[in-house]
Amino acid sequence: MTTSGGTTQEPESAQYLAARLQRALAEDARTTEQGVRVTVRGEHVLLSGDVACAERRTEVEAVVHEAAPGLQVLNDVRVVPVGEPVGQEEIR
Amino acid sequence: MTRIAAVGDVHLGEDARGRMRPALERLGDHADVLLLAGDLTRHGTVEEARVVADEFADLPVPVVAVLGNHDHHSDQQDEITALLDDRGIRVLEGDGVVLTLDGCRVGIAGVKGFGGGFAGKCGSNFGEREMKAFVGHTVGIAERLREALAALDADMKIALTHYAPVPDTLRGEPPEIHPFLGSYLLGEAIDANHADLAVHGHAHFGTEHGLTPGGVRVRNVAQPIIRTAYTVYDVRPAGVPASAAG
Repeated sequence: MTTSGGTTQEPESAQYLAARLQRALAEDARTTEQGVRVTVRGEHVLLSGDVACAERRTEVEAVVHEAAPGLQVLNDVRVVPVGEPVGQEEIR
Repeated sequence: MTRIAAVGDVHLGEDARGRMRPALERLGDHADVLLLAGDLTRHGTVEEARVVADEFADLPVPVVAVLGNHDHHSDQQDEITALLDDRGIRVLEGDGVVLTLDGCRVGIAGVKGFGGGFAGKCGSNFGEREMKAFVGHTVGIAERLREALAALDADMKIALTHYAPVPDTLRGEPPEIHPFLGSYLLGEAIDANHADLAVHGHAHFGTEHGLTPGGVRVRNVAQPIIRTAYTVYDVRPAGVPASAAG
């Protein structure tokens, strides 16, 4: 695994890059997110999943941008809804 | 019939303070008890647990919880448990509680659970000490769940875990990571005691509905799955165990 923040001489393979970014989101104290998926396509990094509030949506994008500054981050992460449920499921 | 509300993976912290409380104020209109299926916090700190307590304390129904892996991240799980218990949120880990709800004795046994994988695709208690520690952790937890469920003197038994007891509710997660999301040993403990319902969280990309090999309904209530403050199951005890019917 490279530790050079995406600035290695040779292009980092998409597979290693995605793994490095996924670990950054889980292990960086600012995010500790395991519920955000990272998909690397060419020069784009797609983030998807749900977080608990809008601030965290911004934080995951910042951590990924910091770890891979040369790539464009597409942030599809959503803030999870917390409304009252409608109806209930009967289990018999 | 008992109305069981449940949610997991709320991942609260100071930045999310107060988000859930408005939807919880009328909880008593919807449910008789609220189960919290772990990952209550983000970093597993006592400070975050205070936010959890402020969010879920003093509700009109009893609140029963287990912790998740995030709640263990800062090694403050004992302090978190004590804080939540002190605020009236009963935290289970290898034990159970029986609540009389609308005349029905509802027994809830809970453990965090752990990984290891599912039948035919799981780790073994063998080899390096790290591998034995990993699988041994799950073996011990599953045994405690089995004992806690057996000890419940109740009309209805519910198993509450953070990790998944079946692979069904992991559909949507990559199969390669299933061994980190749950263990069949939890399902085996649930089946051995003919539980009426098993509730878990942890798998944000999974599926709500599942079934154990013994016919026990399993529900993944991770908040990214249910997409509400909590979901409600109206449960009637089976009375006759599935295995006795055939």
